[in-house]
Amino acid sequence: MGVLTKHELDYLERSLKRKANETEQDIVGAEWSEHCSYKSSKNYLRQLPTKGIRVVVGPGYDAGVLDIGNGYVITVHIESHNHPSAVEPFGGAATGVGGVIRDIMSMGTRPIAVLDALRFAPIKGASKLSMKSRWLFKNVVKGIADYGNCIGIPTVGGEVEFDESFNDYCLVDVASIGFGRKQDIVANQADVGDVLVLAGGSTGRDGIHGASFASKALDAENRSAVQIPDPFLEKLLLEATMEAIRAGCVKGIKDLGGGGLSCCLSETSDSLGKGFDVELSNVNAREGGMTPAELMISESQERMLYVTSNEKLPALKSVLDKYEIRYSILGTVQEHQDLVVRNSGGVVASMPSHLVAHAPLAERSSRRPKYLDALKSVKRPAVPSDLGMAFLSLLADPTIASKRWVYNQYDHEVGIRTVIKPGMGDAAVLRLNTDDKLVAIKLDGNSKHCYLDPYQGTLGCLSEGRRNVICTGAEPIGVVDHLQFASPEDPEVFWTFTQAVKAIVDYCNFIEIPVVGGKVSFYNETAKGPIKPSIVMGTLGLIENLSHVTKTTLSSGDSIFIIGHTASEMGGSEYYEYLHGITGGAVPKVDLEQDRHNGDATLKVIRDRLARSVHDCSKGGLAVALAEMAIAGRTGLRIDLDAIPNSCKSPDDLLFSESHSRYIVATSKPDQVRSFLSSEGVVFDQIGRAEGTTLEFSKGRNRIVNLPLGKAEAAYYSLEETMK
Amino acid sequence: MAKYLVQVVIENKPYINDPEGETIHRDLVVKGGYSNVSSVRSAKMLKMVVSSKSEKDAEQTVKKLCEELRIFNPVVSDCAVKTSSKI
Repeated sequence: MGVLTKHELDYLERSLKRKANETEQDIVGAEWSEHCSYKSSKNYLRQLPTKGIRVVVGPGYDAGVLDIGNGYVITVHIESHNHPSAVEPFGGAATGVGGVIRDIMSMGTRPIAVLDALRFAPIKGASKLSMKSRWLFKNVVKGIADYGNCIGIPTVGGEVEFDESFNDYCLVDVASIGFGRKQDIVANQADVGDVLVLAGGSTGRDGIHGASFASKALDAENRSAVQIPDPFLEKLLLEATMEAIRAGCVKGIKDLGGGGLSCCLSETSDSLGKGFDVELSNVNAREGGMTPAELMISESQERMLYVTSNEKLPALKSVLDKYEIRYSILGTVQEHQDLVVRNSGGVVASMPSHLVAHAPLAERSSRRPKYLDALKSVKRPAVPSDLGMAFLSLLADPTIASKRWVYNQYDHEVGIRTVIKPGMGDAAVLRLNTDDKLVAIKLDGNSKHCYLDPYQGTLGCLSEGRRNVICTGAEPIGVVDHLQFASPEDPEVFWTFTQAVKAIVDYCNFIEIPVVGGKVSFYNETAKGPIKPSIVMGTLGLIENLSHVTKTTLSSGDSIFIIGHTASEMGGSEYYEYLHGITGGAVPKVDLEQDRHNGDATLKVIRDRLARSVHDCSKGGLAVALAEMAIAGRTGLRIDLDAIPNSCKSPDDLLFSESHSRYIVATSKPDQVRSFLSSEGVVFDQIGRAEGTTLEFSKGRNRIVNLPLGKAEAAYYSLEETMK
Repeated sequence: MAKYLVQVVIENKPYINDPEGETIHRDLVVKGGYSNVSSVRSAKMLKMVVSSKSEKDAEQTVKKLCEELRIFNPVVSDCAVKTSSKI
């Protein structure tokens, strides 16, 4: 089938010291695809700081595990399903949710929430491209909603960005967090003679070569890897898995995802350090006549592999029977260290598991892209004569506007853990059934910044994630990264990847926050060219006390402070890109020292209960952040722009600059906040008050913006109208 | 112009799974004792009344609209169009 490069085939046959048959080539081809093997990225990912006092399990497993004390853990994982969603948005997005949920289950924890980060082409207008984009957007959201709602796991947050580099395409990232007891974390150990049980859906011809499909650019013939979601079966698998773990009848679990049985078996066998001997005629096949290779690489959904002992097998069987889940005894654990695959007794493939699970790394060259210099500086636009109108347009920018149209389709409350729900705060906050603790989580990305400056852009995503969880009152405890690019074989694309990794290494080392998991997705391109580098960071935070939970809702009468410095860093801002159609300029830079300092001070303000509401400044800048707080609290506000610590050249920059490390704090105790922040030594000032019924921004004696709250609200909630 | 009743049947391609059909088969048909039924596939049917000059023309209109308006996704589903009667 030619899924291996010549170099890889040579390496395989040299290692085997014989020719590899076709089935073996297909098995290895699935596992050595970029999607499963990380062959281009592995060397770089090794640099990520993954250690920390709370880290129980770091990257490289199905999900990262963080210790939150008293014997409890939270698990987290992020995955994408970009290619399948681009061709079949409903099924692609839904099966993406299913995949990440199974990763959380595989660790022995119960998934308690799902988040999604989505990227589409612009959706406004009547052009064919925007119609296609609306169709993708609508169905991706439906797919996520349907799967999550059916299975009873709340979809609690996420983010959506629109950019022309996603024309005819989309990025669908799904993250999930799980919660459980540390003692239930599946140890994944096996002894010779143990049994391999394949349970769940039947194995069909859907998703054949899915992993290699995801490792190629999208073209017309390449569209066979479509899977149909079956959330009810996933729910049964979830409950059965939880029950089997409690009953102590599983020694190892692995979900089947990209690469199907090939990846699942080779990786599990390799990590156990034991060989597997499997019989394919036992697989519950959906249709007759499937070849061994097809059975091995099928990516049919809702399947799990369990490793159990002979003594516990009857107990596992009775759990699976109880939930009416079909299963088959696939094979046994062996003394050797090979993956031996049989079909009706005859060996069809036999290779060392370590060899299959470890693709030869690909050497990729990197070169700084030429476009970067061309876009370094742009002519700044003239200050709009009516800044109020500009402000209103930005509030209606689909990237900035409220995502109520999206989250109203999600059940974000099922499970009754959700304390900060979508639209109420900067991150989702969920109650954990232990003491008083809560977990905060947020996904952040900014393709526009990352395109113009992948290093600073990625730092920005991390800074924003940290800000978002801090704003809810949480201490950031870990991050997961999702790195999405076009082809790594393009040196200019690969350079942007190396810059992103460098940024994560630098930020996480400085802030001392571990990376506990992640995913790399290459080959995100269409006939029209590569996507912008799209880094999505998921940040997890821990709240020790329910009274620390803080929302963004402004209360009338409160004093408003800003922490942090505002500069004219307009490159990649929504103001430039959406309003003026300008791509270029210097993106906001993250000053690590200031970022840490401002965040720590804000968290202290919250934990000393000095703040009533807190919000960070990100897309759309200060003006949008303030409007969001005012709209949430249904109050007007008066802001004196001259009070803002800044080095801006013009009032539009001051309003809409997306400078990082900035927090807005609203309080009924301004004197205490002022003296506290002074003693902390951060850059800050009191900039206004929540009052009246308009959003009023003045500079000196000039009222440069005076927007009735109702008008701002209408613009901010305009996504429903756009999607009609 | 005459009116035609045109039926559109949309179903998952044969190699793609069909949770609804499979569930009906497993939980109702087989459990209900009809073990001689070996498979159930679900589909969606639309009935459209079309004013048209000929049966062939009516079918073509429906075929075109199904493709143009994304009534089905050709990546996942097969779509069959057939006139059942002249009204």
